[in-house]
Amino acid sequence: MTDQLSALTTIFTEFYYWITVVLMFLIHVGFCMYEVGASRYKHHQHTLMKNTMLIPLVTVTWFLFGWWIYWAFPTGPGLAPSIMNESAALITDESAFSAAWYLPTSDLMGTNLNDHISGVFWAAFLLFSWTAASIVSGAVIERITTFAFGILAIAIGSVFWTIDAAWGWHFDGWMLKILGYHDAYASGVIHAIAGGFALGVLAVLGPRIGKFSSSGEPRNIGPRNPWLVTIGLFLIYTGFWGFYAACNIPIFDLGPEYGMEGVTFWTATNIYVTPTTLGGITMNFLMSLSGGLLAGYIVAKGDPFWTYSSGLAGIICASAGNDLYHPIQSFVIAMVGVWVAYNLHYWVERKFKIDDAVGAVAVHGYAGVAGLIICGFVLNGYPSSGYSVGAMWVGTDYAPINPLGMFIGAIIMFGVLGFLPGWILAKILHGMGKLRIPREVELAGLDYTIMEDAKSDERSVASSSR
Amino acid sequence: MATVTNWIDHLSAAEVQGAVYPGVGTEGILVLVLAVIWIGWHVMADMQETSKSKAIARKRPGSNDWKSNVTDG
Repeated sequence: MTDQLSALTTIFTEFYYWITVVLMFLIHVGFCMYEVGASRYKHHQHTLMKNTMLIPLVTVTWFLFGWWIYWAFPTGPGLAPSIMNESAALITDESAFSAAWYLPTSDLMGTNLNDHISGVFWAAFLLFSWTAASIVSGAVIERITTFAFGILAIAIGSVFWTIDAAWGWHFDGWMLKILGYHDAYASGVIHAIAGGFALGVLAVLGPRIGKFSSSGEPRNIGPRNPWLVTIGLFLIYTGFWGFYAACNIPIFDLGPEYGMEGVTFWTATNIYVTPTTLGGITMNFLMSLSGGLLAGYIVAKGDPFWTYSSGLAGIICASAGNDLYHPIQSFVIAMVGVWVAYNLHYWVERKFKIDDAVGAVAVHGYAGVAGLIICGFVLNGYPSSGYSVGAMWVGTDYAPINPLGMFIGAIIMFGVLGFLPGWILAKILHGMGKLRIPREVELAGLDYTIMEDAKSDERSVASSSR
Repeated sequence: MATVTNWIDHLSAAEVQGAVYPGVGTEGILVLVLAVIWIGWHVMADMQETSKSKAIARKRPGSNDWKSNVTDG
């Protein structure tokens, strides 16, 4: 940073991402409140601790290998050559955006006066990782062991979502080049994959005791504290603002970046380095939230739990194309997503006896998949990358956004990188006898010992006179 | 251990060294320490959880027994 303009741009970008990280922390606060509100009293403290401990577990593993995976895997490997080094191998060479710089032993993974951006970018992606793991957390409450959840949280938060981000979010990702995949605010790369992963785990984990009658009819185990659920979801909405901002690059001159001689075009861009505006995505965020809430209120007949969740599902469904949609398109897409998510949730529950305690598979998984498919039609023909005009990096071309590519992309996100690994890992943990808590503990409540000790302490205090 | 002992000398060098944390060059050892703590945590947490679960399972409390343990607040 030897001149004032580059210094201002760099420090502004650093500060911008830092703010998004703080905002996104609210997503996790919201998830914690929401899950505790949805769980029954005798499981509250365990539910809270399970979700809280994913913070350090995913952070440590994100430092050790998660961040490296993101930069190493855009090529597949073996599926499409990188535009940086024209090789389809893992990107671990000395090129500009190589994973070599993000090994945990790299001197960029710490206070480095020559690099202001890597740390905040690492942190922003880490907060995405927590979100992916936290989505799974809600679905499995009241019967999974903390040990098993820790392993699953690391798998989704530091391995599988980061592979999908490398494939479908990185500007050099093979899914952009071959499929024309476009997912600006993560309908698929966070939500569909986490929903699919949760479904895979639930298929092995089984329902809570009492969820289904002996004839297989589902029973409602509604939220025990609607106020915690409400505030939790409002906080998730709030954190989602930060998430949207974090998916953008705040200030960038696309002229020289795209190799356009003599052209200067300063703008915000999405994660693919194609232009958008913070104003436009803010309008779309609010319109999709509104579409989701309105649709949710109707399909759920005014049920508050589903209405709030539908606000979230609406945003998630529109997110893939919210960098380019018109606000009314965003609004309508959100409504469609909510209708799909709500109806699929109850159909899957009855048909396959899946007990998704908070509707996470529906809100994140089904709405995310619907959003990807819809995006393929609405944005059909848009370029998936600015680099397809290619002058800065000569080499691979990129497919335009198209319905088939987005449909295949949705299958990869939900099924290949979500459901399948979740199911396999849950099977392994189940085989080790580590997946589910003992039946006696589930009936008594995970907090039984803590509550018994607290009562005993209370009696001692109440009977003392000094 | 100190990587910087004089900021003026450090920042006026022809090529400023970016990494300024103590012990530059020992990152491999630090990463090893982190990995050991991480794996160790899982082992210890699993042992604690299994032991707590077994204790409750031995007692076999009823599904409503927790209600008598609700504190006054």
